[in-house]
Amino acid sequence: MEEIPRTNGSPPLHSIYENDPDLRDLVMQFVDELDGHVDLIRSACLAEDFSTLRRISHNLKGAAGGYGFDPIGDCAARLEYEMLEDEMDLSALSERIEDLVSTCRAAVRPSDS
Amino acid sequence: MNHDEPKRPRVLAIDDSDLVHRLLRARLRHERIDLHSVHNAGDGIRMARNLRPEVILLDIDLEDLDGFEVLARLKADPLTRDIAVIFVSASNETMDRVRGLDLGAVDFIGKPFDVGELKARVRSALRMQRLVRMLAQRAQLDGLTGLWNRAYLDDRLAAEVASSIRYRKPLSLILCDLDRFKSLNDAHGHPFGDEVLERAAAVLGAGRSPDVACRYGGEEFALIAPGTDLEETMLVAERHRARISEIDWPDRPEIRISASFGVADLGCVQGDPTPEKLIAAADRALYRAKESGRDRVVGSDRVDWPRIAG
Repeated sequence: MEEIPRTNGSPPLHSIYENDPDLRDLVMQFVDELDGHVDLIRSACLAEDFSTLRRISHNLKGAAGGYGFDPIGDCAARLEYEMLEDEMDLSALSERIEDLVSTCRAAVRPSDS
Repeated sequence: MNHDEPKRPRVLAIDDSDLVHRLLRARLRHERIDLHSVHNAGDGIRMARNLRPEVILLDIDLEDLDGFEVLARLKADPLTRDIAVIFVSASNETMDRVRGLDLGAVDFIGKPFDVGELKARVRSALRMQRLVRMLAQRAQLDGLTGLWNRAYLDDRLAAEVASSIRYRKPLSLILCDLDRFKSLNDAHGHPFGDEVLERAAAVLGAGRSPDVACRYGGEEFALIAPGTDLEETMLVAERHRARISEIDWPDRPEIRISASFGVADLGCVQGDPTPEKLIAAADRALYRAKESGRDRVVGSDRVDWPRIAG
């Protein structure tokens, strides 16, 4: 089966648990829901809704690693950290957001591979 | 194979992220536990009271209430006080861990979970929780200080009074109250207050072997001294008083603690001796010790103390 790249930026990202029978279904669900998170991040970004951005990045920071996607958790942690600064650096912030979005898009659904 | 065993331990997970609940459910699927999930602090506290779980997995970063505050409330409520709480957080700050453990959490798990670690820590908390409950029920020990508790004191004192009457032997009771404990607690925090109680209890518990040291409640302790009359018991109390005042606090060199003592024996009570009368006599002496300046031993009315010394 040929893999369809979901983004031009990042190489495909596989969950380290994609073959774990206890987690396989959950990882699939997690990846399916990532699109929704990305949409939410995009719209929160446009609306400058930082509390939503904070909540999503905080949740992903805590959970993504548990689903076997450490890079997503790391990007989310960096985004959350950027928003902790008193004076937010908007260009750094948008860079962090792009990082998180492209890493989320690179995540591969277990059944895809 | 029986999957509906009635006695499966209950574990309550309090976390506002559904992503985390699903993960916990999958990771703990094969454990012999009933896992319950709630998504906010308010529900968590209510559920803790109703369900009485053995273990709580508590997220620090809840949206409606700080996890530390949730823990403080659980620990302040007698119904939920003894539940083993494991803190869960994506924060790796040592200070957070220290604060959680100081507030009475038994353990800490970092996010993202390592599966093996998660299972091991939950199992370990369950094991500890079982032992704590067993000890509390069977041995009637005070959970904080390791001394006998009030319920045990009442039973034991009644038995000692009866035995003392039957065998015509003396029996004394010491009541001991830590001086200015509340202001100490307010000034230095509850973790330090607990430490003070533990250290003072250790002194009282390390006395003569027939003596029975109990936590009477709050910062008050009781010592039953079987076969010992008032004079001798005053000396025992004086030794305890001196040792408590000598306790060293390496981290807080400015601190000295002290305690006041009231002592009575069965010769101090009028009419038929009862445990209640003995406690009341010792309590009056304790009151006089407080009133006359604290950090001292006062005997009940029968004897003029310390004229006997010298």
